[in-house]
Amino acid sequence: MLEVIDCQIEAKTWCITLPDIQVHKGELLVVTGPSGIGKSTLLHWLLGNNPQHVSIKGQIILSGANITDLPIEQRQVGLLMQDVLLFPHLDVQDNICFALPKSQQLSSKKQRRAAAMDLLEQINLAHLAVRYPQNLSGGERSRVGLIRALANQPQVMLLDEPFAALDPNTRQQMGAWAFQQLAQQDIPSVMVSHDVEDIPVSAQQLCLADYYHVLESNNQ
Amino acid sequence: MTSLRFKVLSRRFILCLLWIFAAAVQAQSESTTVDVIQQSSKQWQQTLKAAQGQSVYFYAWGGSKAVNDYLRWATREIARQYRIRLIHVKVTDPSEPVSRLKAENGRTSAIDLIWVNGENFAYLKQQGFLMGNLWATIPNSSNLAVDKLPITVDFGEPMEGFEVPWGIGQFNLIAEKALYPAQQLSAASLLDVAKNHPQTVTYPRPPEFHGTTFLKQLLIDLSHGDPRLYQLASEQAKSELLPALWQYLDKLHPHLWQQGLAFPSSSAEQFLLYQQKNLSMAVSFNPNQWLKEKSTQQISESSERRYFTHGAITNSHNLAIPKHAPNSEAAKVVINFMLSEKAQREKFSGVWGDPSVITTLFDEKATMPAHPELHSSWHVVIEDIWQQKYGG
Amino acid sequence: MATKVRRLGLVCGWSLVAGISMLPILGIVVGLWPQEPLTFAGFESFLGYQGLTTSIVMTLLTAILSSLISLYIAFVVYSQYHLSQRLQSFEKYLAPLLSMPHLAIAIGLVFLFSDGSIFFVDSGLPRKGLATLTLTIVIKEVPFFLLIFSALGRQLPIKNWLLQGKALGYQAYRCWWFLVFPPLLKQSRLALLAATAYTLSVVDVSLLVGPNIPELFAVSVYRWQTSFADGDQVLGFWSNVLLLLLLVVSVSLLYAHEKLAFAGCKSLATQGRRFLVGRISPIFKAWIPLSGVLTALMILVFVLWSLGYDWHSSRPSFSQLSTVLWRDEWLFFALPLQNSLLIAGLAGLLGVALALLALELQRQRGQYWPDYYWLLAIILPQLSMVLGWQILHIWLQGGYHSGWIVLSHLPFTFAYGYLVLKGPFQNVDERYELLAASFGYSLWQSWWLVRFRLLLPAIFTGLAIAFSVSVAQYIPTIMIGAGRVTTITTEAVVIGTGSQQNLIALYVLLQSILPFMAFFIAALLARRFRGSVGG
Repeated sequence: MLEVIDCQIEAKTWCITLPDIQVHKGELLVVTGPSGIGKSTLLHWLLGNNPQHVSIKGQIILSGANITDLPIEQRQVGLLMQDVLLFPHLDVQDNICFALPKSQQLSSKKQRRAAAMDLLEQINLAHLAVRYPQNLSGGERSRVGLIRALANQPQVMLLDEPFAALDPNTRQQMGAWAFQQLAQQDIPSVMVSHDVEDIPVSAQQLCLADYYHVLESNNQ
Repeated sequence: MTSLRFKVLSRRFILCLLWIFAAAVQAQSESTTVDVIQQSSKQWQQTLKAAQGQSVYFYAWGGSKAVNDYLRWATREIARQYRIRLIHVKVTDPSEPVSRLKAENGRTSAIDLIWVNGENFAYLKQQGFLMGNLWATIPNSSNLAVDKLPITVDFGEPMEGFEVPWGIGQFNLIAEKALYPAQQLSAASLLDVAKNHPQTVTYPRPPEFHGTTFLKQLLIDLSHGDPRLYQLASEQAKSELLPALWQYLDKLHPHLWQQGLAFPSSSAEQFLLYQQKNLSMAVSFNPNQWLKEKSTQQISESSERRYFTHGAITNSHNLAIPKHAPNSEAAKVVINFMLSEKAQREKFSGVWGDPSVITTLFDEKATMPAHPELHSSWHVVIEDIWQQKYGG
Repeated sequence: MATKVRRLGLVCGWSLVAGISMLPILGIVVGLWPQEPLTFAGFESFLGYQGLTTSIVMTLLTAILSSLISLYIAFVVYSQYHLSQRLQSFEKYLAPLLSMPHLAIAIGLVFLFSDGSIFFVDSGLPRKGLATLTLTIVIKEVPFFLLIFSALGRQLPIKNWLLQGKALGYQAYRCWWFLVFPPLLKQSRLALLAATAYTLSVVDVSLLVGPNIPELFAVSVYRWQTSFADGDQVLGFWSNVLLLLLLVVSVSLLYAHEKLAFAGCKSLATQGRRFLVGRISPIFKAWIPLSGVLTALMILVFVLWSLGYDWHSSRPSFSQLSTVLWRDEWLFFALPLQNSLLIAGLAGLLGVALALLALELQRQRGQYWPDYYWLLAIILPQLSMVLGWQILHIWLQGGYHSGWIVLSHLPFTFAYGYLVLKGPFQNVDERYELLAASFGYSLWQSWWLVRFRLLLPAIFTGLAIAFSVSVAQYIPTIMIGAGRVTTITTEAVVIGTGSQQNLIALYVLLQSILPFMAFFIAALLARRFRGSVGG
């Protein structure tokens, strides 16, 4: 379970005071709001990438542990962004290998490759294994991106406008597929989106605009 | 290929054969005052002993395969005879070691032996960077042909034991026989060649040393060897003697290679242009370069050596040891070897062809009629006015 | 504890980088420190030198124009090659041209095309003149800029920019000028600076093919500085001061050009007007094949020369060819070749590593220092700078082994490494590292596995350039090593002052071999390892 307590986003001229949030395993929280309001900022803060121009205060509790001050690499969060950002120097299989957990069972290259292959087979994308990201279609890229993020067995999944770059058809398919995958993982997920159509009915919604205050500026 | 790069080497004043008697007298007086030690003396035996196993870093211009090959031969001989390792550190310009000695400023030097003359020698001597007393402590310097060659003064700076003559340079042209039929060359005949065969005559751009010497030879010719050229250049002498040179150059330049709008940067470059048949003449300070180049087919069979009517300007190139050379004993042994009959003969008759400086091998035929250097003040005046008139 | 270690690492890193980047300043201060009291008379005699103004104007013009012309030609050529699948690996064709020393190109050019040339009728190319000098520099610099562009191009989404542009209704050539040129120009600023500084202070090429009535300024500077006749050292001091000033002037001219070009592209782009001048002509596709042919001809000439072929004998024939010179010299060039390989290998590797370190430290600080600071080693007058090092080295009494030589090459390899890597480094998308961190990789791991890996093609290019820069160093090698450590370049430069054509040709070829291998291998490797935009 992901909990966010006493969270406040503060910029020079405005601030957002969020209510406490709880996202249970298998649940999806969608953060909405007009662009520029700080949706991605919030997501990146959850990731551990603290923004430079606004300050965010609050506590992040993940599975009962306070991870607020942990560096990104120790948080075990999965991330999927609009650009997907598959590593261009690695083929699909190696992109997934890169993300697999660093555990005893997966210590050799052979084991890791086999594990990556398993994941690809599960989603019927084994034929893409040796392709490079430049040669994938948008939809394929997104699928590989999601599988890669899940390969690390994250405790929470963060999605930043994950389907915005896709064409409407692919987008619908991809959405349905992605949420199904996430549900299977049984982890909490947070998604940022400004497009209502992306949001599945079962999701909780948090509209940042509802909590937005303009600060009384001193220099007025 | 053996064109010795005197480039920046000698700028001052040297003695030559016109003053041969004066020089001989002076030299004789010197040779009587300098007590040269014997090969068998205890002191020399000690030097030889100390020198064993030492390495001598010899800083010398390395642009000539002939010189390099000669030094490779010398290295083998010295290693065999004295168990000394001679290492030729090839420099592009004689000023490189000078600049290093200046930077070292009296600390232990990287240099054990240098090839030097002219203004570089004058500078090093004045700064006190050189080891003195070389003539007296090197047995073979008693072989030096001081009575026949102008080798006790280097461009107006008396050697005084701070350097030892190694070889002789004489200014000459390497030229196509058909265009330059006479052994000797006058300013007038050169102008004729330039007019009849435009674009084939040129000279290195002063202040390159060969270029300035070329101008000096013309000045000697045009002033018929006026005695004032060998004295400090007075205002009157300048105004009387120099106009002839500039008038001559005004006439000559339009017929030169590139119409005198560009000049070769060095004698080596001019030689390459000659080799490629772009020019009818090249300049050299090695009186036997033409023969050696012909023997290796670097230049055409029809190439001949020519010199100016009043004789070839003559000077010496020399060896010196820095005051703080770490292996000075071995360096002395190397100089001693270089002055030996064997080494001097190989230098002259081998690939290099540089004339000998020792009495036993002195050969009139190897050299041309010599002409003394002008007073060093003329050197500066010629360069300065040339730069003002033609250089900008 | 971890933060302590990190802080210690940072301090060490910064002091390393600061040490290397300060060496040029240290050198120039020590090297230019006036030995004798400065007098007004000395300054006056310097200003009174006949032809000084013309010489300075000529030098400045050649330096700025030749590098700008090279940049523009390279850009047009690059635009022709960038998108063609078949021609994309053009870098490996650049290797021979990149590896020929400037001087060799000058020698080859005048031999092939000037009066008295062998293969062609007189092309009117003067033996000595600004045109010949500029042409030599352009021929040599275009491949250099192409290499820089190609390293940058691997990191920039040029394909997408062009797509966007075309989607908005602009022809391809306009997209190149409006969309690609401005960022490319900005990111190759360092290369432009380096090329200009090189031409401003180059001596050997100017001596051979530059005009000498009056001579170019760098030649005068060199002559005065290496002369010990009365008064010349004073002239040498003032001319160096002026050379520094000229460098400042050219830096500002280049910045001004950049601003102007930017404004030009911007106004044309915003007006959406027809853009006639910049129509990229496909004839530039011929540039690389043409320079390939030219290089091949030059290499042929040098090979024949080194085998003793004589064009000027009355009956030239191939039967006179012999390998005797090669066999003779083999004993003597093997060691210098090996020294060059070791020194350049080490100096190149360390230089590039330090350049990466400098970039990473600045990135972490979130602030980049001005470009010219990092390029001081390339920009400052080399002779004075190295003289300063020589004085310091003598003062330290550390001996004359190769280690010092590597150290003396390091500022140059570092500067060139920085020059090549800065653009690609800044273009790496930071989010890749973010992603890697989300997969549990530490800062160091994600740097190594992602950023370094994405930069690898650019690093290969940087290594090849740094390597060949080190191979080409003459002055530091001879002045710090006291001539005791011989490299193929010290040998070649010395031989070059002579007049034996076959030997000069042999050493020109030898001098080109190592850089050629470096560029060729780098081109092959860069292709194998994909950058962040990839094939």
